[in-house]
Amino acid sequence: MDSQPTLPVPISYISGRYLLFSIDAVTYLRREHNICGVLIGTLPQIPQQNVFLGLPLELMPEEARVLVDRDVACIVDEAKAHDGMKSLLEEDRRQYLRELESQGLHASRILSDRKDQQREQALKKLGEKVKAKAAKAADNASASSAQKDESSSVVDIFDDGSNSASRSANMTPESKLAMAITPATSYPPLPQPTSSSRILSKPEVPLSYPLFAHLHSQGYFLSPGLRFGCQYVAYPGDPLRFHSHFLVVSAEWDQNIDLMDIINGGRLGTGVKKGFLLGGPEKTREDVDSEAERVESVRAFSIEWAGM
Amino acid sequence: MADADEEAIRATTTEAPQIETDLSDETQDFRLLNHLNFLSDTSSASLPRRGEKDFEPNPTEFQADVLSASRGAMHNALAHPRIHHPKTQVVGIYAPDGPTPPPQAMVDEKGLGVSSDYCVCVPVPKGQYFKTIGQADRWNRVWLLPEEAMYLMERGSLDIKWPRELSGIDADDVNEPLIPMSLQAAYACLLGRSGLTLERYTVFTGLRRLGYAVVRASGWDDNAQAEDSKNEINKHAYTEPQQRGPGLAGIIGRCFAWLDDPFGTSSTAAGPIVGCGIHRNYTDVYRKLATIPWYDPAKAETRDPLDTDAPFRVIFHVYKPSTPIKKSAWPTPDFRIAVVNAREQTSIPTLAQIGALLESTPLDPPRGEKMDRLMYMRLRHGYRNVVLAVVDQGVTSFLRISDAAFGKEKLYENKGPPTGPKRGGNFRPKKR
Repeated sequence: MDSQPTLPVPISYISGRYLLFSIDAVTYLRREHNICGVLIGTLPQIPQQNVFLGLPLELMPEEARVLVDRDVACIVDEAKAHDGMKSLLEEDRRQYLRELESQGLHASRILSDRKDQQREQALKKLGEKVKAKAAKAADNASASSAQKDESSSVVDIFDDGSNSASRSANMTPESKLAMAITPATSYPPLPQPTSSSRILSKPEVPLSYPLFAHLHSQGYFLSPGLRFGCQYVAYPGDPLRFHSHFLVVSAEWDQNIDLMDIINGGRLGTGVKKGFLLGGPEKTREDVDSEAERVESVRAFSIEWAGM
Repeated sequence: MADADEEAIRATTTEAPQIETDLSDETQDFRLLNHLNFLSDTSSASLPRRGEKDFEPNPTEFQADVLSASRGAMHNALAHPRIHHPKTQVVGIYAPDGPTPPPQAMVDEKGLGVSSDYCVCVPVPKGQYFKTIGQADRWNRVWLLPEEAMYLMERGSLDIKWPRELSGIDADDVNEPLIPMSLQAAYACLLGRSGLTLERYTVFTGLRRLGYAVVRASGWDDNAQAEDSKNEINKHAYTEPQQRGPGLAGIIGRCFAWLDDPFGTSSTAAGPIVGCGIHRNYTDVYRKLATIPWYDPAKAETRDPLDTDAPFRVIFHVYKPSTPIKKSAWPTPDFRIAVVNAREQTSIPTLAQIGALLESTPLDPPRGEKMDRLMYMRLRHGYRNVVLAVVDQGVTSFLRISDAAFGKEKLYENKGPPTGPKRGGNFRPKKR
């Protein structure tokens, strides 16, 4: 369960966005590095809803940058990497297809097993119902002929059961046909992108990155915050289990801030039982060589609407 | 001892209040999915109820256990494979260079009749999805746009294969099985094709998951321009107060106006706004007080949908599930959607941008018995409307913008009986 993917985790860079496709990487980064991202894919098991979503996971550039700076992830140009499909060796290709087939067989076996189980259960229930009915009828009717009828019907039911069981036994070779599988990732058949040519430089981040990195280093989980009218929403723990505490807005140290924005933010936050957190680095990008130095100079303030 | 501590902490932890919100607004507890029987028929499965959340982390094992159970459930739900039963499997083949004719067919000057934006070919289309998705060519193959192919693949309804030339198989090797594309490969190859950004795709799938039919509108291509563009805001739509129509009606109207106010005192420079005439009812007074020009959306000119600037242009037409759809002749859309990336467009749109966007949609005045009766519903519905989908890193917010006509709702002309306690002022009938 607590799987550990090989580090660094490759983050797919596709048409300007950062995406994760490997479930192990998603759970690992969430568990060990407080990175949640946003699930944007459809869950194949319940595809007609928007409450629970599935892979891929979209990462903010800030999240990707934090991970790259910690050396737990690297950015891979996925379109280029997939050009490698052309040079796939025949042997690898066959091997990959065999693997998929065995997975498909496994899936169809599970499915047919479950179907059998369900059928058995349903039959058992039906049998019990009939038995109960028979017992009731036996209680009511004293005539022995009636009893005979009922018992014969019970026998009939069991005949049906054995029939369908034998039918399913006949069907098994057919249902053992391998299911086709759409895998989530392309590794395999593609080899892990180790060559540095496919690994891209660190993600470009917005001016609000220092505040993001600062809060993240303090153990907060951050997610995009536009739906609450802010830049990030800060959670004290995993958003799966906790409500968020802060609406986060970043500003540069010398930037003029409209007082109305602070009041608006404070009211907005208080309205949804969260604090309004305003912060930013004391140093500008001109002052320092790296974003890391800016991160160290972050100060944050929280504003709550007291409503005197 | 440790257990006693834990009990104490748990007792003091206040359960965070559960506010009624849209379920999709917040991260959901994937444990709720556990009772759904995966790998089986899910048609009967209904969505689970919202889970309880805690206020803040505490060092109890109880909380740690619940969290790891939640994460485990999430892992299981996300790790669920996309499998295709051999009987219902639909296969698509990726066509990196756009639609091509089948190998043995002859191509004449008529071409394929399929736009080059389409890039996945389904030789044997079956299933309900193709009613609203894809376009058929002359050989009864259905071609899919990148977003349609990705959506069908994501929901486990389409198995996209690599074409021979891209997976290292010789073109003559007809018996060699094709390699299935992974989800990752589909994203890598299809995203970015023909103007498909991740934001547009997120909006597309979000709506499709809810059952809407979504098709590209003419504004899809950012670079497409109208032939004759007009860059100024429509001035005709601003209605002067007391404006009369031209012609005879106008002359008669002006006559009456003169009879009403023969000394022209209604000019504010020369006296009170209302003037010195005799006023027999409040309506006349109010009409004279209306000196501010107002905007009449019904008079605004309609603009070519291409005469707008990205991102504020309609790129999707959306149909409700109940709307009957014929792919050869799409009906009038129920909604028009513009998609905005919140990271690239960080300010709210200007009046010129919103005005142009609204003018590019057809006039849709409030009609019907209910609209005639309810003024606020009329105002909310407006005369033109458009939906903005603002995407912030995968999180979509929908905003409906409509062109309301407050100037048309003259409250003083409201003929209905006065309501509320103000009736008659302080007058109380005396009992005799």
